[in-house]
Amino acid sequence: MTLCFTRTIHSLPFKHPRLSLSNPSKRPISSFLPHSSSQSPPLLHPISPKPHLPLFLRPPTSSATFSDLQKFHSWAKGLAFSVGSKFLDSDNGPDTDLLCREIKWLLEDAVEHTSILPHLGSSQNPNLTGSELIRLKLDLDDLYSLWNQRIEERRPFQYIVGCEHWRDFVLCVEEGVLIPRPETELIVDMVEEVVSKEKGLRNGLWADLGTGSGAIGIGIGRILEEGGRVIATDVSEVAVSVATFNVQRYGLQDKVQVRQGSWFEPIEDVMGKLAGLVSNPPYIPRDQIPRLQAEVGKHEPRLALDGGDHGMDDLLHLCEGSSIALGSGGFFAFETNGDEQSELLADIMTSKSENRFRDVKIKTDMAGIHRFVTGFRR
Amino acid sequence: MGLFLLKHWRTKMPSNLHRNPRIPFMSLLSSSSTAPSMPQTESAVFHTPLFAKRPPFFLQFTRGFAASSQPDLDPQTSDGLTVDGIVARSWPILDEGESDWRSHAASVALSIQLMKRRLQWKKMALRVEQLSAELNKPDLWEDPVYAGKISREHGMYMGKMKEVNGFEQDLLEHIDMLKLAREENDTELESESMKALLRMRRIAKEKELEALLAGEHDSCSCFIEVQGGAGGTESMDWAAMVMNMYKLWAQRRGFEVTTVDEMPGEIAGIKRATIKVDGEYAYGYAKSEVGVHRLVRISPFDSAKRRHTSFAAVAVIPILGDSSSRFQINESDLRIERFRSGGAGGQSVNTTDSAVRIVHIPTGVTATCQNERSQHQNKAMAMAVLQSRLDQLEMARQAQMNAQHTQSLTDISWGNQIRSYVLHPYAMVKDLRTRYEVSDPDSVLEGDIDGFILSYLSSTVDKDEETNI
Ligand SMILES: C[S@@+](CC[C@H](N)C(=O)[O-])C[C@H]1O[C@@H](n2cnc3c(N)ncnc32)[C@H](O)[C@@H]1O
Repeated sequence: MTLCFTRTIHSLPFKHPRLSLSNPSKRPISSFLPHSSSQSPPLLHPISPKPHLPLFLRPPTSSATFSDLQKFHSWAKGLAFSVGSKFLDSDNGPDTDLLCREIKWLLEDAVEHTSILPHLGSSQNPNLTGSELIRLKLDLDDLYSLWNQRIEERRPFQYIVGCEHWRDFVLCVEEGVLIPRPETELIVDMVEEVVSKEKGLRNGLWADLGTGSGAIGIGIGRILEEGGRVIATDVSEVAVSVATFNVQRYGLQDKVQVRQGSWFEPIEDVMGKLAGLVSNPPYIPRDQIPRLQAEVGKHEPRLALDGGDHGMDDLLHLCEGSSIALGSGGFFAFETNGDEQSELLADIMTSKSENRFRDVKIKTDMAGIHRFVTGFRR
Repeated sequence: MGLFLLKHWRTKMPSNLHRNPRIPFMSLLSSSSTAPSMPQTESAVFHTPLFAKRPPFFLQFTRGFAASSQPDLDPQTSDGLTVDGIVARSWPILDEGESDWRSHAASVALSIQLMKRRLQWKKMALRVEQLSAELNKPDLWEDPVYAGKISREHGMYMGKMKEVNGFEQDLLEHIDMLKLAREENDTELESESMKALLRMRRIAKEKELEALLAGEHDSCSCFIEVQGGAGGTESMDWAAMVMNMYKLWAQRRGFEVTTVDEMPGEIAGIKRATIKVDGEYAYGYAKSEVGVHRLVRISPFDSAKRRHTSFAAVAVIPILGDSSSRFQINESDLRIERFRSGGAGGQSVNTTDSAVRIVHIPTGVTATCQNERSQHQNKAMAMAVLQSRLDQLEMARQAQMNAQHTQSLTDISWGNQIRSYVLHPYAMVKDLRTRYEVSDPDSVLEGDIDGFILSYLSSTVDKDEETNI
């Protein structure tokens, strides 16, 4: 099965295109869809721009002596220690402990053989002279400049190494695509739960709208049964290319299809047929954006964060569209900014949606915040 | 079967080196089910038709010994040396590099004794005797299920005895050979035999270890936990040194080490930490380390350069493989929470910290993990730790294991000191249980602790032997 992108005719930036559900889809339902007929697959578009290869996937092209690496290690730790709780106090950023752990992970991704790493910290080691050559996946100079960016520019660690460990897999990420959050992992757990109870959902068609790096879509793709499929969409070109890369890296191209476009626009052809719809849309209230933690506010794409004046623009749009997109019995899960947003959303979906949804629930994340709204289409 | 044992047959030369009551080998020899009516008396064995059928040269393989009418069970050299005899002579055991046959022989002989003790040799011999008697009953095979069971058990014990006996035999033959070579000034043969003895010494050490690690959960992977005692930075630094010692030790042994949880001290060291040690027999070895480790040194954190004594407690938890014996956890009994999270979370926060804490509400047992790179993995690891803690609690409750090994960090009393590491005013690491000591603390702290572990394991075998016989 080949990949297909459906590109929107709209140009960026834009938000909230009107739902055009009355338009009959001109796109054939491809063989990608469950229980499909033998129609020809959609055209394959070249992937552009090409995503950056994350550090850990690069071949070793450089090397440094053990003692040079030790020097880097103690320099990097020195920087981490100089931070103390400065970032933590100013905007809830990383403290020394966390930064030290990041150094360990950075080195894990940067060296060819990680067995050497535990020795870096210990002062005396009789079996190491210091002149041993360690193969690296980047130049030592670059290692220095990366860690410098981490501290001086507050460049997110995940952009530095080019990946984020999420659930039990590793997603490639880069500037222009949101780094998936730990909270969002739980959406996949929730899907896993409903899917385990209902075969129709296991084999059905799912959509992950605003997929970013492809995180949720891939997570769902990995738990669905043979017949189950996921369409993962994003309006951002970078996100589409990164998500496509991640889908392919996990060999899920037959299960997870990445499409480009705004919210429901790229899934017009399957409206009313979805077994499930999940999304973690931008939900930060616009006025909070200038005060965000530096790693987020200065480095992550605004398109992925800005949810309009109250942060609810996209959520409301999705909530409205999901009643049309989901088939009967279809499941939905949305991530929100927390307590107020989820209460409002749940309220709308129960009392103001003409009884179209059932079992609407608010679910908490592991910090006890009312993070998600879930339910079913009647 | 009888055939193989005969190969290792030695007749007894009257010898007062002989200390242990003998294993009734004759009954072993007679236990083959193909010879159901074999007589059970020792001296009669050689006259049974079964053995008469063997080619006569076969007995001659037992170099230089004629079958006496009073055969004994302990193999010996041409000049009457037995394994027990070698041990009784207490020849000093030198470095492997020293070409001293007595040293090699003494080492191998000790290993053999230990293997025998571990197998509970005497008990096993008695059991074999019983089984042989059963197998000799003419009506045995009328109940094939029972017969099969008996014969399998018999075969298993025979296999074990055969292995040890063969080993014993080889040792004595090499000694004979070496002496012979010396008598005849055959330097080539001498060096061959010396090499063979050295080889045996190494193999024997391995086998000894296998014998030592025969506990029910010994082959499991495990968690090792270290906690600093009272005394601030100095003891937290000590806890970190102890933990590092285990990490390096595990690495030497080829185990995979994962840090699960680590609470760093404010200035240096760790308050407590948990690592996962993956590999065969990780638990079997590591369980020897449970207890309090004491350090005496001039503290680098004391500007007055005074001598300090600090303590670190070590707990070891096996990771049970067999799911049936595991504690059943009820999902609804768990509280799973994000640990040390701050702020709004979600999109507003980008952190690589995804620590998870799981509380088992009915028991209050908790587990945290923060060293994995995803929350999902942290949760999975915390679950694994919690499961093992609950398993251990359950085992302790059922008293299935030696009580000391099952102690969790909270149970370990600071009085239960097992080892003392003195860096000043002299250098010495001494195990308070076995008296085993080493004068080079650096090498110990770099993970060279197998000597301590083995001497402890051997000492427990002796205890088991005492209680079991
Ligand atoms: C908060 S991010 C979530 C990304 C990913 N699902 C995750 O959980 O890591 C929101 C995503 O929505 C995408 N997005 C923003 N506006 C959109 C629109 N109009 N249509 C589709 N996707 C949009 C952004 O590009 C971004 O990838």
